[in-house]
This record gives sequence, C-alpha cells and structure tokens, in this order.
Amino acid sequence: MATGEPDSPAQEGMALSQEEDRLCPADTGGDKLSTGLEELPAPQSNGPMRSVDGQEEPSDKDLSDSASTDTALEDSSEFGRPLMVGACETGAAAVPPTRRDEDVTAASWRARRKHIFVLSEAGKPIYSRYGNEEALSSTMGVMMALVSFIQSGDNAIRSIYSDDRKLVFVQQGPLVLVSVSRTLQSEQQLRQELLYVYYQILSMLTQVSITRIFERKKNYDLRRLLAGSEKILDRLINLVESDPSFLLGAVRCLPLPASLREALGALLQKAITPNLVFSILVARSQLVTAVQERAVIEECRLEPTDLHLLLNLIGASSAFQAGEIWTPICLPRFNPDGYFYAYISYLDAECTVCLVLLSTDKESFYAVSDCKKRVEEAMRTQGSLQALSGGLQSPSYGVGQVGVPDLRHFLYKPLDIPENYRQLPQFTSPELEGPYCSEEEQHRLFDLYHYLHSRIHSTSRPLRLIYHVAEKETLLAWVTSKFELYTCFSPLVTKAGAINVLTKLLRWIKREEDRLFIRYPPKYSTTPNPGKGTKGGRPDNAENGFFAGL
Amino acid sequence: MKKPDGKVVLLGDMNVGKTSLLHRYMERRFQDTVSTVGGAFYLKQWGPYNISIWDTAGREQFHGLGSMYCRGAAAVILTYDVNNLQSLIELEDRFLALTDTASSDCIFAIVGNKVDLTNEYALLLETEDENTREKPVTSCISTKVQKQVHLDDAVALYKKILKYKMLDEKDVPAAEKMCFETSAKTGYKVDYLFETVFDMVVPIILQQQAEGPSQTVDITSYKSAKRTKSGCCA
Ligand SMILES: Nc1nc2c(ncn2[C@@H]2O[C@H](COP(=O)(O)OP(=O)(O)OP(=O)(O)O)[C@@H](O)[C@H]2O)c(=O)[nH]1
Ligand SMILES: [Mg+2]
Repeated sequence: MATGEPDSPAQEGMALSQEEDRLCPADTGGDKLSTGLEELPAPQSNGPMRSVDGQEEPSDKDLSDSASTDTALEDSSEFGRPLMVGACETGAAAVPPTRRDEDVTAASWRARRKHIFVLSEAGKPIYSRYGNEEALSSTMGVMMALVSFIQSGDNAIRSIYSDDRKLVFVQQGPLVLVSVSRTLQSEQQLRQELLYVYYQILSMLTQVSITRIFERKKNYDLRRLLAGSEKILDRLINLVESDPSFLLGAVRCLPLPASLREALGALLQKAITPNLVFSILVARSQLVTAVQERAVIEECRLEPTDLHLLLNLIGASSAFQAGEIWTPICLPRFNPDGYFYAYISYLDAECTVCLVLLSTDKESFYAVSDCKKRVEEAMRTQGSLQALSGGLQSPSYGVGQVGVPDLRHFLYKPLDIPENYRQLPQFTSPELEGPYCSEEEQHRLFDLYHYLHSRIHSTSRPLRLIYHVAEKETLLAWVTSKFELYTCFSPLVTKAGAINVLTKLLRWIKREEDRLFIRYPPKYSTTPNPGKGTKGGRPDNAENGFFAGL
Repeated sequence: MKKPDGKVVLLGDMNVGKTSLLHRYMERRFQDTVSTVGGAFYLKQWGPYNISIWDTAGREQFHGLGSMYCRGAAAVILTYDVNNLQSLIELEDRFLALTDTASSDCIFAIVGNKVDLTNEYALLLETEDENTREKPVTSCISTKVQKQVHLDDAVALYKKILKYKMLDEKDVPAAEKMCFETSAKTGYKVDYLFETVFDMVVPIILQQQAEGPSQTVDITSYKSAKRTKSGCCA
C-alpha cells in the first residue's frame, strides 16, 4: 500500500516540488528551500522513486463527520418511496424538488461537478447522484455497453479522460460504479470514492447477499432493496468531497480534556454484555471514544472506513432520533459478508450525543439496551453528559488558537502511533473559517488538499514536501515518519516563512495532543473465553432473509 | 434489568404510516417522518405494565428481521394504506409469515391507515365524531380519492390469518373488533386502536407471567443467543 507507509527506509530523501501547473497561475518563486528547521533534509530536485504496488488504492481512508453542514440532506424528502395512489399530503409541506427530480436533459445537469452512477452488470440503474435513475436508464445502458465491450476483449475499462472531465469506472462483483468528475481529484482518489459508495451499499446489504441476488436473477432491480437509502449515498458522496476524514483515512476526534474522555471510556468499558464488540460514543458525528473487544481486534481492527460508513448511515436519517434502534449493519472492511447488530440511541434531547453499541448477537437487544441504561445512569451521576454537550456548543477549535499568523487551516495526521494499541488512525483540523465559509470556497480548498494529497501519494513520483502557490492561498504539504501535514496559508506568506512557522504549529499540536486525540484506546473482553480463534466476536453471517423471497 | 412485560409489533409495507401512527399515539401529534431503519423500540406504561412496542421498517431491505422483532409478541398490528391495495396484499404475502415467532396466543389487529385521504372520510366523521381529535383538513376535500381497500377486505384477511394460525373464530376476538381504519394525520381512531390492543394484551401478559419466565421476551432471546456463526475475517 503506497499511501499507508509513506516512510519506508528506502526513501529517506525528499522531493521538493515547485508547483507550476495550470492549477496555480500565480507566482512561483524558483528559490531553493532554505530553512532553519533541522528535520528537513537537504532538498532534492527529484525524489527517489518509491516502490509501489501498482494500482492498489489507499485502502484505508475515511470517516464521516458532518462538520460541514449539508443543506441538501434534509430528512423530509421522500424519494425512493413508491408514489401512493391519489396521495394528497396537504398537511405535510409539499416535498421540495429533490436532486432526484432533476431534469437529466438540462444543461445544468450536465454541468454538475461530479456525477456518480451505480449500475448492475445487466445495465440496470441502481443509483444516480443527480436525477432519477429511471430517466437515466439509457445513459447507464451506454455505460454498461462500454464496460462490457472492453471486457469482451479480456480487458477492464478504468478511466476515460476528456478535456475537462475524468470518467472513472470501478467494477465490484455484479456492480459497476462510474464517476464523471470535473474536480481536481486524481483518478485514484475518484476510484477510492467509488469504493466508498460500494462499501456503503455493502454496509446495508453485504457482499454475499448482493452476489447471491444477482446469481439468481441477473436483471434484478437492486433499487428495491435500496429504496429509502439513497439519502445515505447522497450524504456519503457529499462528505467524501468535503470531509478530510475520507481523504486521510483517519478519524477526527472531538477535542476534549483527556480526563473526560478517559472517564467516558471507562464508563463504556464497564457497561458490557456477552457478544458486545464495539461501543462507540459520538457527538455531532465526531468520535468521543470507541471501546473495542480485545479478542476481536486481535484478529481485525476497526477500520476508519467502517466507522465513517456507520456514522454516515446514522447521520443520514433522523429515524435514529426516536426510540431505541436495533438494526443489522455490515462493516465491510471488517467483514463484507457478515452483519453486526447495531443498537443506536441518542443520549440527549437535542440528539447530538449518540451511543452506538455493536453486537454479534441478533437477539441481544434487551441486554444491549440495558448496557445503554447503565451508561446513561453513570453519565448522569458523573455529570459527563453536560460536560460533553458543554464542549459541543462552541466550535471544536479555531485556527486562531494556534497563534500562527497567516495560517488559515491545516490537516494533521500523526503516523507514529504505537501499533500495540491497535489505534484507529486519527487526524485533527480546525473548523473552517475565514474565506472558506461558502460551499464553493470549501470545495476549492478541498480540491487543493486532494491535489496535494495525490502528489504526496503519487504512485509514480511520490513527494515528501510540496510548496504550492495557488490562486488565493499558499499551501504546504509535508510528510515525515511521524506525521502527515497539510497547511493552508494566506497568499502573502513566503516559503521560508511558512516552513518556519510549521515548528510553531507542530509544537502547538504536541501540547494539545491529549485533547485532540484518543491516546490510549480502551478495550474490554465480552467473549466468554477470549483469545485467538474465538467465534464470539465474529459478525453474524448474512442471512438476513431478504433474498429468500426473490 | 427491568424487563418489558409484553410486546406489541407494528408490521406493514413501507410508507403505510406505522411510525406516524405510533408517533401520533405517543407524542400526540402528526409530524413528518422518515423511513424507519431496522426496528425502533419504545416502552409504554400501561397501568402497572411496561409494554414494549416495536415499530419495524417496512422496507424490503429489512424484511428478514421481522421474525426477530416478532419473537414472543403478544400482539401484532398489521398495517396497510387504505389507498393502496398492494399494501394489503403485502400483509398476507410478505408479513404474515414473520409472525410465526410470535407468542401462540398472540392477537392480531389489521389497520387501514390514511383514511383522511378518502372521500368516505367525511361520512365516517359524521357517524363517529366521538373519537376524532381534529377537524378534517378542509383543503384536502377537493382531492379526495376513492378508497381502494374496504373494511371487508381487511375482515377477509383477518379470517385468512385465523386459518393460517389454525385458530377457531370462537376463541379469538371478532374480526369486526380487530379491523380498524385510522388516520395518523388527523388522529382518527388512533387512540382507540392502541388502547384496544393494549387492553387485550394485558390478559396475555398475565398468562405469560403465570406460565413462568420461559415465555417472556427476554428469555426467549437468550435461547438463540449462542447461535453466532463464525464469519470469515479477511
Ligand atoms: N394523509 C396521511 N398521510 C399519512 C398518514 N400516516 C402517515 N402518512 C404519511 O405517509 C408517509 C409514511 O409514513 P410513515 O409513518 O413514515 O410510514 P412507515 O409505515 O413507518 O414507513 P417505513 O418506516 O418505511 O416502514 C409520511 O409521509 C406520512 O406523513 C395518514 O394517516 N394520513
Ligand atoms: Mg416507519
């Protein structure tokens, strides 16, 4: 995996690239890097080629986190539901036209930044980000024809480049996913995005089920099973574009005093029942703490992707905000074929703090629900719910707190996590502010981050440090054995200046470390006889029964 | 842990209004809902009893779970939309078999929801304004539609269920008593529905308690708890 270990010993050198392409028409100082930062080895014009294993995608990317507000995701839309005969929903406000009602022949449809399509091998539409799948069936038919034409020559279509667009194709089992994009993302990043969409579908249906369904009926209409879930995919795609969690393959934690986080972790550690495997506490889609079953993570750790998909699924629907929810869910990176049973309940009236308990036992609802009661009670006596929601009122933190002038935003992902903790990859970043308040500007910034990320993780010519002068800002990306860092400065900053203040930023992060990250992930043992090969921790193999009636 | 005393399950196709009915009953209002995911659990205090209510998802994606939610149920409320014949047919085709795991003395209610949309609604109100909580929404009147499913159809389904369960009509509540037409939107007969069902559940709870713990919801769930299959961890 190229992106996973940016620091194999074979590549001590560092490539410093001057970015002078069409992305950044602005000034390009040709001067060599001179800096007082000792960690920086002498710059080289050409970094040593990395050994890479071809087309492997950066396999662990992710996290869903609704830091950015998403107006299009109101829960009131009703697409996906069959039209009721003569329904006159006068009381309920008329459903606003959703993206799904978009006219697919309109120029505005074609002008969309990024389309995502999912279709079956038989060419049947399954999902389209914009416009209704039905209206797009001929378009999807053409796509499938393209895919199969190339397949017939024992080849696979991967991408098509046009002047201003990239078309990327991914085939996974009986599903074909297509992205048509005008963004600056690399083909690899677009491919990764499509995989997220695929994994999200698996999280609802599992791989075996999908395979089995299409084995039995090649032209099955998978929308039957995904009806009502389009919003989950819509939201995922928006998040992937705007939330660095996915790009970095890491989880963003809610900044909290370490003592509070540890107390909450300890509390979850105590509220257990057999077959409970993950206890996750989130606040506003940001991770507070996650406790993992010891025996289970010995075999397989909780992947950020799985956590992102889970949180996206929960965040996409207000259906979780009433009652206690018990629903099957697949964590596809953990096991694409098995179901966990998720207990989901918000702990506060405002529905900001959410407890998610995953069990491998379908029938354990009452026992798991009891765990929640214990958590709730302990939180009440400790007053930790107030402490937690107190921390939620203010935005997580602003870049101003760092005290580095000209620094507008950054993404920092530590890489030096001791392996024995089985830690989730994490990252931190301040709230977006200043010039990046509008969606358009945010997209622009993330396009830049995506671009830098693709250069850093390029399979053919990876870079370790990039100084990039863009139109309205200056960016610096830097990866070492200890961290991966992307910073965004005002355009006035010089290269030497930017590099200079990085030390200050790194020092600030070091100081805040305990607040920004989960340092010691808590664990518990719930299986009767823990140890290797335990069966208790495995998810239930998919026999959800929904394909029985085909 | 405090165990619920009896279980009531709402079943029926997506969009028929199960969540809206329960919401109307519990929260006293009609609010925009979203399609349910999996099953949502609620507790309702009914006299000295804690009745658990499962609002299940009608979406096909969650179909296989129905029998889990129904395990040990004392009552099942089969819900359809009076303006959608298919939703009644689905009750027989898709949902009835899920109730196999319910308690053997489980009672069945069949509920046709969304009557407010039909042109018969005004008529219904005249004859029964007792249970009506809200005035009908007048703006709707012009668009009233002909009802697709009639109470007779529900009664016929009820009798089919008895046959399927091999129950004698004489031993169970009469079909006329167990077929309801409601509107979650206006509140029409919603309380009546739930109160009737809860009242009938109480004797079943007593019976279950007398028979000892083996019949209660919790123990049943432990029995199959060991059945965890080994999945393959990649
Ligand atoms: N006019 C009218 N609309 C209703 C009534 N009950 C529900 N609805 C509407 O029908 C739609 C579906 O209602 P839900 O309660 O979510 O349906 P459900 O059966 O819970 O659906 P699933 O959770 O997907 O199985 C919503 O838009 C409701 O507003 C009713 O009595 N009258
Ligand atoms: Mg519902």
